[in-house]
This record gives sequence, structure tokens and C-alpha cells, in this order.
Amino acid sequence: MANLKDIQRQIKSVTNTQKTTRAMKLVSTAKLRRAEELAKRSRLYAAKMNQVIAEIAGRIKCNKIGGLDNRCFIEIEDPKTVDIVFVTADKGLCGGFNIQTIKAVKKLLAEYKAKNVKVRLRGIGKKGIEFFKYNEVELFDSVANLSSNPDKNNSDDFIISSIEDFKDGKIDALHMVYNGYKNMITQELHVNKVLPVDSSQFKCDEPEKSMLEVESQDEEKMLDSLVNRYVQYAMYYALIDSVAAEHSARMQAMDAATNNAKDMVKSLNVQFNKARQAAITTELIEIISGVESMK
Amino acid sequence: MNKLKLEILTPNGVIYNGNALSVTLPGEEGEFGVLAEHSCLTTLLEAGVVDVEKEDKSVESILISWGVVQVDEEKVIVLVEGAVAIRGETESAISKALEDAKKLIKSIKQDSSAIATVMAKLESAAQNLL
Repeated sequence: MANLKDIQRQIKSVTNTQKTTRAMKLVSTAKLRRAEELAKRSRLYAAKMNQVIAEIAGRIKCNKIGGLDNRCFIEIEDPKTVDIVFVTADKGLCGGFNIQTIKAVKKLLAEYKAKNVKVRLRGIGKKGIEFFKYNEVELFDSVANLSSNPDKNNSDDFIISSIEDFKDGKIDALHMVYNGYKNMITQELHVNKVLPVDSSQFKCDEPEKSMLEVESQDEEKMLDSLVNRYVQYAMYYALIDSVAAEHSARMQAMDAATNNAKDMVKSLNVQFNKARQAAITTELIEIISGVESMK
Repeated sequence: MNKLKLEILTPNGVIYNGNALSVTLPGEEGEFGVLAEHSCLTTLLEAGVVDVEKEDKSVESILISWGVVQVDEEKVIVLVEGAVAIRGETESAISKALEDAKKLIKSIKQDSSAIATVMAKLESAAQNLL
């Protein structure tokens, strides 16, 4: 049986850990509320933006738009080089949040590797970057501290090079992998193909609406700037959605940790009481046998 | 007269969602109006004022920064990056909206004459509300 002092020390240390995890949970709850609000408000805008873009892509696919062949809207048959942008947290202690994203990236990497496609990884968030560095997977580009404080300007600056490279034909696809917020207790992994715009859900035999007109002297320029905004917004939305998910994941993880600590203290207390009782019993026996021997 | 469904969305939420009689938008190539059953159209918008003629014929002015509009037979979707609607019950609410609008337009346009044109438009819209 363990020494009384040892058990006491252990109880104290577990209680301290419990205090820390509880505090972390409270902090995450407060941060989650703010992040969730931001993500919720943007959700509708992001969804509509996707819809508008997908519709343009669909119409281009079905030739319902006058002679446009913008690279961003046309499915590329056999890509040579692709960009994968992933978003992970800057900090750990949030359960399987980062690992899920990393796993999805690895899967995508393996798929492309099997097809002999060159992949350029662009990472956001320290945890993912560290993981790939440790495993000696080459990162084309990486940025830390963006995923914990999403900033529109910085995210625009980060993603613009991918957009430019795509337009110049240096890359043939752009994927975004991130863990998004679904509700307080669930996160949803998103693996989105951002470029070329996905038009697969658009069926060409749908009842004919009128021909789409692009009202601009320079249609290409208009689509270009629209694509820039769309991808930049998709990036920003991925970041804010990921922050909300990170906080919800951390809140859950810390809640579980606090509960585990509680259980541990409970079982340690039982152990402590048993040990104490044993010590008292031994002492009593010693005293009684001492008295007996003196008779 | 037919009504059109109008949605104006920003990353910070919905600015307008409902029926309207007509809407005037600041397109890149110049201002244009949209009535119900307009043919399909997608175009970019530049910073300026969107005038929404509501069902009761009152006009609401909304200042927008960069945006894109998608028009089809059923609905008009306006996606903008930033917007301030000039509306409010009291004079102070309206003047607050005007202040916000001024801040927004100053942050996107340097050209002082352009700012003045937009602000004059918004101020006259605010006058009509009172």
C-alpha cells in the first residue's frame, strides 16, 4: 500500500490540474461565444457566395454563357500540380481537432501521390506545420498565428498567391482542408475544392432559365475579380469557422479532463482513507500488544 | 405591379431580406435599376448607394462597398462586403447611421468628390425619412 504522504501529494497535484483544466474550459467557453457569433453571421453570406459562383460555373459548363472559358470555372481533367491549404490550431489541448485535419490532409496527399500529382502544401496553424515538419513532409508555405486571430487582410495576402498561380496555370487545383464548427459539441471536417469551381451538382438539362448575361465590357476581368473575392472570402470563412470549432473542441476536451480529474481525486481519496485506516489499525495493535506484554 | 424578392447580405449579416418593387444598384458600368422579372444578370457593384423601393413605395437607401449582384427571374441577391442602411425610428438613430456610412465611404474612397456625391445622396435620403 502506498505511503500516506505520497497519496496526499498526488491528490494535491491532480486537484491543481483540475483547476487549470476548469479555467481553460471557461476561457474557451467565453471565446467560443464570440467566435461562434462571427461564424454564424458569415455563414449565410458564404453560402450565397458559393451558390452564385457555382451557378456561373454551371452555366459556363452548359454553354449558357457567351463564349467564356475562364480557367477557374472549367474542370481540369488530369491535374499536374495542386495546392492544399490546411488550417489547424496554433495550440493543442483540444482533443482530436488537429489530428482530424492532419489525417484528412494525409489522405488527400496519398491520393494525389498515387496519381503522380505534385502537391504543394500550404499550412496555417502551428500544430499542423509542426506535424508535417516533424514527419519531414515538405511544406511549400506556412503561416503561424493566423488561425488563432483570423484577419481578413492577412488571409487575403496568404491566399492570393495560390489564386495567381492557378490563373497562371502553375497549379491545377486548390483544396482547402479545415475543421468547421457544427454545434457546441460537434465539429465537421471540410475538404473543399475551391478552384476550379465545382459545378458537378449543376445539371445541364434543368428547365431553361434565361441566358446569363455578364454585364460588363470586360467579362474576363469581372470574373477574375469575382473569383479573387470568392476564394479570399472562402479562406477567411475557413479561418473563422475553424476558430469556432477549435474553441468548441477545446471546451469539450477540457470538460472531459476536469471530469477525469474529479474521478481520480475521488478514487485517490478512497485509497488515502484506506491507508489511513490501516495505519491506525497497526498502531492500535502495537499499543494493545505492548500493554498485553507488560501484564 | 409585380414584386421582386431582394436579399442584401454582408459577411456581418443580412441587411435586407424581403419583397421590393424595384431596386437601383451602383454597377461598375453605371447605375442601373432592376424590376421584377428582369432577365438573368450577374455583375459587379462598386461603392455607392443602393435604393430599394419597398412595397409601401417608401425608399430605403443603403450604402455599400464592393459587391456582386445576381439577378434572375425570381430573385435578386446582392452580396456586399460592407453596408450601412440609412434607417431608424428616431433622428438620433438616423444620424448615427449617417455617421457610420461616412466612416465606411471614407475607408474605401479617397476621391473627395465621390465621397461628397455619395454623402449628399444619403443625406437627402435621411431627410426624407424624417
